[in-house]
Amino acid sequence: MKDINKEKNKTFWKSLRDYYDDPEVLELKACEFKNGVTDEFKPSEMSSISRRKFVALLTASAAFAVTACSDYRDKGEIIPYNKRPEGLLPGTANYYASTCSGCASACGILIKTREGRPIKVDGNPEHPINQGKICAKGQASILNLYDPDRISDPMILKRKSSWKQIDSEIISILKDASASGKEISIVTHPVYSPTLQKLFGDFQKKFPTTQIYSYLLYDNLNKVNAWEKCYGTRELPSIKFDEAKLILSLDSDFLVNEGNFIENMRKYSTNREFVNNTNYNRLYVVEGRMSATGMMADYRLRVRPDLQFDFVMGLINELLKRGVSDFTVDPLLTAQLNKFDLTSFAKRNNIEQGKINYLINDLINFKNKAIVVAGNSLPEKVHVLVNLLNEILNAKELYDFNSTFVDFYQNNMNDFTNLVDKINSGKVGVLIHFDTNPLYHFPADLHYKDALKKVGAVITMTEEENETSAESKYVLPVNNYLESWGDYYVRKGVYSLQQPVIAPIFNTRQKEAILLNWLGDPSKYTEDIYHKYLIENFRTFVYSRKNTPVAFEAFWYAALQTGFVTIDEEADKQNNFNNLSLTSIDYSPNNNNSYAVQLSESYFIGDGRFLNNGWLLELPHPVTKVTWDNYAMISPSTAKELNVSDGDFLEVTIEKRKLKIPAMIQPGCADKFISIELGYGRTVVGEAGKNVGFNAVDLMSKNYTVSPWIFDKAELVSAGGSYDLMSTQEHHSLDDKFLKDIERRRKIIREGTVLKFQHNPKFLHEEKEELVSITNPKEYTGLKWAMAIDLNKCTACSACVASCNVENNIPVVGKDQVAKGREMQWMRIDRYYSGTPDDPIVSNQPMLCQQCDNAPCENVCPVNATNHSPDGLNQMVYNRCVGTRYCLNNCPYKVRRFNFFNFRDHFADAYYENNLTALVNNPEVTVRSRGVMEKCTFCIQRIMEARQNAIKENRELKGSDVKTACQSACPADAIVFGDMNDPNSAVSKYRNHDLAYYVLEDLNIKPNVTYIAKLRNTHSEEIL
Amino acid sequence: MSAVDYTQELSVIEGRPALRSLDDLISKPLEAKPDKKFYAALSVTLTMLGIGVVCLAVSFYYGVGMWGNNNPVGWGLPIINFVFWVGIGHAGTLISAILFLLRQKWRTGIARFSEGMTIFAVMTAGLFPLIHVGRPWLAGYLLPYPNQHSLWPNFISPLLWDVFAVSTYFTVSLVFWYIGLIPDFAVLRERAATKMKKIIYSIFSLGWRFSNRHWQHYERVYLILAGFATPLVLSVHTIVSFDFAVSILPGWHSTIFPPYFVAGAVFSGFAMVQNVLIFVRKIFNYEHIITLDTLEKMNKIMLVTGSMVGYAYIMEFFIAWYSGLPTETFTFINRAFGPYMWAYWIMFSCNVIFPQLFWIRKIRRNIPIMFVIAVLVNVGMWFERFVIVITSLSRDFLPSSWAYYKPTLVDIGILLGSFGFFFTWILLFTKALPVVSISEVKASVDGSQPSHKGY
Repeated sequence: MKDINKEKNKTFWKSLRDYYDDPEVLELKACEFKNGVTDEFKPSEMSSISRRKFVALLTASAAFAVTACSDYRDKGEIIPYNKRPEGLLPGTANYYASTCSGCASACGILIKTREGRPIKVDGNPEHPINQGKICAKGQASILNLYDPDRISDPMILKRKSSWKQIDSEIISILKDASASGKEISIVTHPVYSPTLQKLFGDFQKKFPTTQIYSYLLYDNLNKVNAWEKCYGTRELPSIKFDEAKLILSLDSDFLVNEGNFIENMRKYSTNREFVNNTNYNRLYVVEGRMSATGMMADYRLRVRPDLQFDFVMGLINELLKRGVSDFTVDPLLTAQLNKFDLTSFAKRNNIEQGKINYLINDLINFKNKAIVVAGNSLPEKVHVLVNLLNEILNAKELYDFNSTFVDFYQNNMNDFTNLVDKINSGKVGVLIHFDTNPLYHFPADLHYKDALKKVGAVITMTEEENETSAESKYVLPVNNYLESWGDYYVRKGVYSLQQPVIAPIFNTRQKEAILLNWLGDPSKYTEDIYHKYLIENFRTFVYSRKNTPVAFEAFWYAALQTGFVTIDEEADKQNNFNNLSLTSIDYSPNNNNSYAVQLSESYFIGDGRFLNNGWLLELPHPVTKVTWDNYAMISPSTAKELNVSDGDFLEVTIEKRKLKIPAMIQPGCADKFISIELGYGRTVVGEAGKNVGFNAVDLMSKNYTVSPWIFDKAELVSAGGSYDLMSTQEHHSLDDKFLKDIERRRKIIREGTVLKFQHNPKFLHEEKEELVSITNPKEYTGLKWAMAIDLNKCTACSACVASCNVENNIPVVGKDQVAKGREMQWMRIDRYYSGTPDDPIVSNQPMLCQQCDNAPCENVCPVNATNHSPDGLNQMVYNRCVGTRYCLNNCPYKVRRFNFFNFRDHFADAYYENNLTALVNNPEVTVRSRGVMEKCTFCIQRIMEARQNAIKENRELKGSDVKTACQSACPADAIVFGDMNDPNSAVSKYRNHDLAYYVLEDLNIKPNVTYIAKLRNTHSEEIL
Repeated sequence: MSAVDYTQELSVIEGRPALRSLDDLISKPLEAKPDKKFYAALSVTLTMLGIGVVCLAVSFYYGVGMWGNNNPVGWGLPIINFVFWVGIGHAGTLISAILFLLRQKWRTGIARFSEGMTIFAVMTAGLFPLIHVGRPWLAGYLLPYPNQHSLWPNFISPLLWDVFAVSTYFTVSLVFWYIGLIPDFAVLRERAATKMKKIIYSIFSLGWRFSNRHWQHYERVYLILAGFATPLVLSVHTIVSFDFAVSILPGWHSTIFPPYFVAGAVFSGFAMVQNVLIFVRKIFNYEHIITLDTLEKMNKIMLVTGSMVGYAYIMEFFIAWYSGLPTETFTFINRAFGPYMWAYWIMFSCNVIFPQLFWIRKIRRNIPIMFVIAVLVNVGMWFERFVIVITSLSRDFLPSSWAYYKPTLVDIGILLGSFGFFFTWILLFTKALPVVSISEVKASVDGSQPSHKGY
């Protein structure tokens, strides 16, 4: 039995003794160590550190050593939300609706915030007027919030002070002034806010000697006054550019820089549509300078702005001769008309008679659907005649009286002359500059600066030091518009709200709250006093008119969420044309033979308020591509006459007022004429705006002959010396045969005319040759990203570029680096001239990474830093990039950008590298350091976010889920983005259209950005 | 009938010097203390090097932006210098390996020196790819090393081929040079006066005992290495030319580049060797070793390769026209008549016109004139790289991004520094190693080889 057990239990034995279960063996087996071997092992004498403990300590000390030695360069504190604010999820963006305060358009905006800081401003898609789009200024305005030059504390006589001190001092000054009957003058810009109007009223009630003066450097008073004379109301209707078939613009930059151009551009571009349907209008532009709207013209006539009156008179004369209209023109005018003959006008001013004939015929043919628009700077009498012209053309249908512009009370120069007189006679006690900079904006002959010294207390509210604050006793820093409450009522029926998206960064208050605070008990100041005031006004101004069953609070929050409230208002009627308006006009023809000067509004820096915004200064001018400067735009033949070349100084003299400014030769400019942009050359400005441009306000005067911005008797001489104007695009002479029309010969720009397209829709691809690939092309079966850009719609407004700058953390490099050709913008708008230097045809082309299938940049990178994604993106891995720049060399589109320096630290000694400005960066996009190549990646961060959401929602990612930054910014909707493998997507429709082409198609690198060829609506099948 | 025997090879060493005197002559610079002239020369080259180091330090501190490079012109002077110096490094191996295989005895006097120049020129050239990148501290990414990302370099990028080609060329040239030096080290070891020298030369001579067996092995290895180095001479510059030829840029994308670059490299390499040897033979009294005949032969090679380069220039124009590609045609017309016309015509006259003077025997044998022409050849060859790199980049496909490139002072400082670096090595070389191969020269002297009745 035992043996059997043994058999069962024991199958292996080591020795015979083992087999027989020798006790000695059993004992040996039981103890691991032999007797005596472990005698020296005495746990009590051993160190108290156990093996486990030793290993633990070893590990810990190694870990400590490792962490202690790692010196992270970025030592910023990371503070977790102990208590997470409601509605805020780290890593997820919040959006707030608000209103832009950059200009009188007051566009609805949507502000993207991340972890409590605003990082991007876009249009509010639901806003009825701007419909999700804003201009370049609005896009880049976010940089002003984080501008390191903002004033952080209130100041008295340039010394830092406290609000408490200031409030008490000023209130006593105000009381004294009002008690002694001295005037309290408030100088403001036009007030677009109903609540602010009420506040001014309340202020006047409390301090009865208060007077409000408002002004703008560049306004539309001439237009409004003319409208009032003609129709008895100051409320201008908006224009239905979407219904106009023929537009004649007289020096009006309505597409890119005048009125609500975002709205205009959208409406206009619906009539430049060849892909989804076929709508087209015809645009005539009559102008002296070359404006962005002028670049879009089908026919462009070069006429100096001081001659516009003669031109319009000639036009009316010609049209009436043809018996266009049954509109009866006042005999007073008809008597004058024969002085103005269009044919001789054309001959005198070198205008092709053919173009004039086309214009006249088109105006007659498109009657009822033709509209004439005149530029804001033109004199009042031209506006009156344009109103008349529109009557003759029966353009009434094209006025939109449902959406008129609300009139803002605005003073003219006489009021300010009176103000200066009052100051000089000691009648003004307190002068408050309500976020205005009159010392920079007012003409020198107003002698405002001398007057200022005679006022006891000059108070200037401003975000940054400016010319006026430098001369003021009290300087009160105000909130940025992203830190402020507000409301805007600029268009009939639309009331927009502005809300803060960040607490004031500095010790600032919003300007309205400062005034409001002086009305009550200043010791009770809270940050939300104006907020409460606004709500109260909202109750009376909007809620009571709305007549809604919704409770007030809910209504208010809903309004805040959408950003605006629509109010039903009765449409204005169009009154009959008042012939009296024609009586006060001076009908003498202009026989001026001297030079004319026009001061125009800057595209990107407004009236100088954006002069410290590096993004905007570095945005290339839509026409000249010049950055960081203004200049005198001059025609090639006038330049020859004056013997100047690009950058040579000119001296402009208008009645003893002088300005020395470099010339910039602009093809297409009218002869004997220069045009200068306003807003540059400020003397007291932050770091970025220092020494930028020349101040053309020096040429303005309180007494003007033609208009405040147009001068007809100017002297122009070459002043000797030259200046470096930095343009991002080389400007070739148009008469060089070797270079002439090279962009057309290389098929970079491909264009046609509407007639040609109607005759043969496939004209673009007739000479197409089959391209042979020597390798098997990679198949993309799934989603594949592609973009299409409709060149018919692009106006070069550059909103896309500004939007891309903000979205992708593009650094500002400064003028010296632009000079070296190192600007960093991922997107640019290329401009090409063809035709003659005097009368060029301009083509614009947004250029960005084309995400080629056979990307030439990819195979040459030695470290695989740029490679292709399965969804067709040309990716850029910054961490891997060593910076050989071979990809840049091999990119035929030259859209790659290299960080030659650490540009954040390079510009103006790290002006944009500080804790404050760093907040503007999009946390989803790597901030690139020096030595790294970068480029457009179709906003891959947006694609990844959309993909994450799709995965979360357990669905397929669709092309329409993603909108790139440039696409969402484009006011003309010229950019389409999506999945090219989806046959129903918009982008594949564009790709397969007859007008679609790729730039440098012959290289067979298979770009994924399609361009829709521009069709010019001329009377010919040929462009040139 | 004259009695000239054309079958009889002329001796490459003039005047049948005694073998012992050759030993003395060649090792003299190594045994004498450096004189004032040497220190003066060294201080000049070190100053140049110092300027280069300062400019480089500035570039490393602030970034590549210190140079003239801009957006269309991604490559500037550093790449031009790289190609220039690799080109200079070409003559050495050609002389020592290819001419050796072709049994060109006249190479004897110049092979050692030109090989040394090859090594130093490739060292100089090798610096540029490293310093020209935006983040030089990450240049190691170009090497294929196993890493936790399992990330390899991009093997289809010509820049990567460059890394391999140049490093291989450098290694093989160095080994070849060293092998050739072994018998000379042994000679020096025998002559060494101090213990230190003796130890050093002993180590480097690897126990050479002038035995018949050693000579036999040595000849074999030398022959094999010469065969090994020969294809490298052609491949290095071929691959350097791929840096350009593989791209799609008009003016770069061209199949003529490999032969054209190799010819150009030999051309400039010979010019540089000739320039330096003119000094060396004068200073060290080697006129009978590095004879006028040798110099003339080098001039002939310059004439041939210069003509090849000229042919390539003209052929590029022909192909640009013949291809019918408008961008290609534009690029070449732009080269000759565009904004960089000055550079093109400097290149063309220095490389094509002046070397044609070598058709005249008197000029080939006139030392001052040949010196000037060779200097011009080097200037021209530097400008050739300038023209290729800059003109093609500054005006490429889209006229909107065209821009003019201007090198900065820092760029020029680095170029100067590269010359300083190169010539410092050359000067140290003349004082550290025999600039002419003792053993080969001795073997080439008339009567040194056994003969039977004059055959």
